[in-house]
Amino acid sequence: MSGPGQDVASLPQPPVAEARRGRGLHLPRFALAIPAWLLFLFFFAVPVLWILYYSFGYKPSFLSGQPIATDQLSVSRYGEALSGTFFLTFKNTFQISVIGTFLCLVIGFPFAYWLAVRVDPKWRGLLLGLVIVPFWTNFLVRTIGLRIWMGPQGPISGILQDLGILGSPLDVLFTKFAVQVGVVYNYLPLMILPIFVALDRLDPALREASKDLGAGRFKTMRQVTVPLAMPGIIAGALLVFIPLTGDYITASVLGGAKGNMVGRMVADQFLTAQNWALGSAMAMVLIGMILLAVGLFALIGLGLRALVQRKRRVVLAEVPA
Amino acid sequence: MSSKAAPRRNRIDPVNAGLNIWAILVYAFLFLPIFIIVVYSFNSGRALESWDSFGTNWYRSLVDNPVIRKSVITSLKVAVGATIISTILGSLAGIALARRPGKWVIVFMGLVFLVLVTPEIVDAIALLIWYVRIKGPFGPGFSDIIDSDLINYGLMRLWVGHALFSTAVVTLIVRARLAGFDESLEEAAADLYAPPGRRFRQITLPLMMPAVLAGALLAFSLSLDNTIISTFVAVAGSSPWPVYVFSALRAVLRPEVAAISTIMLLLTLFALSIVAIVLKRSGDSAEEVAKTITGAG
Repeated sequence: MSGPGQDVASLPQPPVAEARRGRGLHLPRFALAIPAWLLFLFFFAVPVLWILYYSFGYKPSFLSGQPIATDQLSVSRYGEALSGTFFLTFKNTFQISVIGTFLCLVIGFPFAYWLAVRVDPKWRGLLLGLVIVPFWTNFLVRTIGLRIWMGPQGPISGILQDLGILGSPLDVLFTKFAVQVGVVYNYLPLMILPIFVALDRLDPALREASKDLGAGRFKTMRQVTVPLAMPGIIAGALLVFIPLTGDYITASVLGGAKGNMVGRMVADQFLTAQNWALGSAMAMVLIGMILLAVGLFALIGLGLRALVQRKRRVVLAEVPA
Repeated sequence: MSSKAAPRRNRIDPVNAGLNIWAILVYAFLFLPIFIIVVYSFNSGRALESWDSFGTNWYRSLVDNPVIRKSVITSLKVAVGATIISTILGSLAGIALARRPGKWVIVFMGLVFLVLVTPEIVDAIALLIWYVRIKGPFGPGFSDIIDSDLINYGLMRLWVGHALFSTAVVTLIVRARLAGFDESLEEAAADLYAPPGRRFRQITLPLMMPAVLAGALLAFSLSLDNTIISTFVAVAGSSPWPVYVFSALRAVLRPEVAAISTIMLLLTLFALSIVAIVLKRSGDSAEEVAKTITGAG
């Protein structure tokens, strides 16, 4: 702001120091964030801790009119949540989310690569916008759309029957398969976007250098593009895995009796079974499962990176002195 | 990139062709379920899932259905309230994070992160438990004091529930925006004797305005689409439209569900295109726009 003009020095000195010291003199540094603090504390942190507390309670008799009792605390709700069909639902959910995350990666990576590298930059913004549109369409509505396609009276069933491939209406709705397709569909944009961002940032010169140094297409992909896109891949995997594991709507719309997931099981305890203690325990196990998986994922990632770095270390030939 | 590939254009590259086909398939996968909702909203039959014939009767019956009309009005009221709360709270927090850093930032960002990663179903049951426990969003007795069409118990439960996630999103967007600008601009204003109020109004506010606007519109769309928290915390008589659709799933789905979805889809897309235009105008690249819009920034 002050150029090398001569008359600057003759101007009265502005009270910079005072202004700087004056700011935040009376208020703590986080003062402006206090309303947000309060919102998060009172309507997120405390209520979630309350779930933890309730998970040690039990369901009182119907006569008491209460959905929860906490006069005797025990861990037996956790035992209940991890037994029989409930445990099976946890196992199925984990399987659906691991396979779902993997499928999103397999489908999303080539697409993100195409969008970031192959598409004419002129069209890139528009094509990227098209990926965001489904993401911002109501989740429930999208899933109902998928249900119409997969239903026994839907267009796919109709076409397959007309062609004589199927003798009876298509029977995939309300199965685990339908839920698997549903979650891949619902979370795919969350995988594409971070990978796109990582690949878009990548300097094309790096790929060209790799080519110039004699690496083929696949070697360049394996040794240059994929390692550099790794932050995007990891972010995408987390962005897909975390909400997918806690998904409630997809299983409710497409799952029926055979394709249940933990989110729906937890909701049922609150909306129909009125067993808040068991529902709370299930919710805590769900959170534990997600944190454990993310932790394991991070450990494996770190381990792999250390391994790769050791293998890749370039040892320069010693120059004789 | 494309310029390098240009001299070989006349030879078909199998990898390129494969990628193009893959991209078309992915777009088809992403859009067909939305497309079918729009198409089936013109299904004149009684069951959504079996096509009968073309007709606009369900759009006409929407107007006559008081439950749907009320649910859309509730949705709009909830969205406006949640947007106001989360925009103000998120902007203030964003300013504090960008301009008053300190050790507190780690704790606060940890909390924001937790809000963003906790499964929505867990947030929903937590709020349900909490509202039952404290008898209303702000303690017993409060709901009796304020009870009108614009502010009431049912709406407040939803405002708070929806504002939770959007406040975290707005905070991140505003923080990212302000972090991109050097504080020297504000210091220059101070050097020129601008009092703090004027400094904020004439320098900080215009700088953060695109982020605030984008955050507000995002909060609005998020609230308009929220299904899970709404299902758990809405009280009878003031439930938003996704709750209506979700409860309709238990019986036979009628094409009116697709009709209302199509209308709400258009509304959401309209809000989002405004966000995109605002961000684009303020000089963000397409990539940054995408990151902001998905809250991944």
